[in-house]
Amino acid sequence: MNFIRIIPSLLLSNKKLVKGKKFTNHINAGYPSSTCLALEGQKCDEIFIIDLDSYKSDKDPDFDSLSEISKNISTPITFGGGIKNIEQAKKAFKCGADKIYLSQILFKDKEIINKIRNIYGSQSIVAGINIMSHNQEHHLLEDKEKNIDILTHMKSLVQCGVGEIKITFVNNEGSEEGMNLDLSKKIISNIDLPIIFEGGLGNIEQIIDMIKIGANSFAIGSMITFKDYNIFKIKQHLFNKGYKVRF
Amino acid sequence: MKVGILDYKACNLGSVFSALYQLGIDPIIINNPKKLFEIDRLIIPGVGAAKSCIDYLKFNSFIEPIKKFLVNKPILGICLGMQIFAKKLYENGISEGIGHIDGEVKKLDTKIKFNIGWREVKFIKKIDKKLNIEDMSSFYYCHSYYISLKKNDYCAGMSYIDNNNEIPAIIYKDNFIGTQFHPEKSQTNGNKLLEFFLNWKKN
Repeated sequence: MNFIRIIPSLLLSNKKLVKGKKFTNHINAGYPSSTCLALEGQKCDEIFIIDLDSYKSDKDPDFDSLSEISKNISTPITFGGGIKNIEQAKKAFKCGADKIYLSQILFKDKEIINKIRNIYGSQSIVAGINIMSHNQEHHLLEDKEKNIDILTHMKSLVQCGVGEIKITFVNNEGSEEGMNLDLSKKIISNIDLPIIFEGGLGNIEQIIDMIKIGANSFAIGSMITFKDYNIFKIKQHLFNKGYKVRF
Repeated sequence: MKVGILDYKACNLGSVFSALYQLGIDPIIINNPKKLFEIDRLIIPGVGAAKSCIDYLKFNSFIEPIKKFLVNKPILGICLGMQIFAKKLYENGISEGIGHIDGEVKKLDTKIKFNIGWREVKFIKKIDKKLNIEDMSSFYYCHSYYISLKKNDYCAGMSYIDNNNEIPAIIYKDNFIGTQFHPEKSQTNGNKLLEFFLNWKKN
């Protein structure tokens, strides 16, 4: 059995970390560089940094913050949010990113996957899938007409050559209500790539429910930002329940 | 001691630079074969696609100078930086490697074709008595190709991807050490390995 991956998911805005609910109402959540250093001390397995400002606008991603973070830690960093072209991806790698997170751009320009893959390899690309759910009906956040099948979309990204997928349950984000188990199970059995799940985790039992259906990588926001959990504590609980974690 | 990092324009140069800097080294970026004369040991980072890396090294006349460097100075190859020392690589077509290690670089033979995350290293041979890393220590991996060795003589440690598949995690031959994992991203254990390399074969 492989190690369960616990990955803090940090949102960057205006050089600070923020955290919200369901992709809105972001409030201040600390200073990026010192927070990452603390998370490394707690033995997080990787760190996700998503730049919100460049996600929402045409601005360049905040490469300065990325550089500053990477100078202080030796933990794998996935960086993204508003990466729109190969030049920005190159700059991100130069500033200390190990993997690039792509989401919105995948609806406009799938060719970017090929461009990054040819230079940096597929393993360096994480595709972001944002799922909205209403009464067992699911669609992609970016798909306003609601006519793209989620699994078909993911399979096409696998074909294009991404190396990893991050699923975000947008409705559950910040809610601490747990994840959508049925949908997660369906995704795991249909997609042969490492999959990271995010959105809705509020306690250890919810993580264990997900592990039981085959998930092994989790991106965590609220649970470590505003609650009395930290990475070490989460891992210790999982270890006590017999799961393999790294200290 | 001067340590160089090879910049082949497609690697996580920043990460390796920071890791060395934290260990008290001011690394020199090597973007020209002549610069190899300025340094005592070389690190070749990973993160990259084999073909584009090899093409870059050939186009910029790096292959022979790297071979000469290796005759009397140590090199650490990380991930793809290790794989390019094999004879043949099969990522994005076939490329000819530096050929120092008798092996071929192939796509992982597992259901999920990517090995991303932390795995334990089972040491099968001691590179040096100064290498002070406990057996079954964990390191960070992020790859979809692995080096398949002709002979296991050069392999110092193996790593399991799943229950059935193990791959060479750390190899060495003469002045060369290669790791499939990323020491620059492996927190305390990674730093130990980098420190070991910085002091390896030092009189």
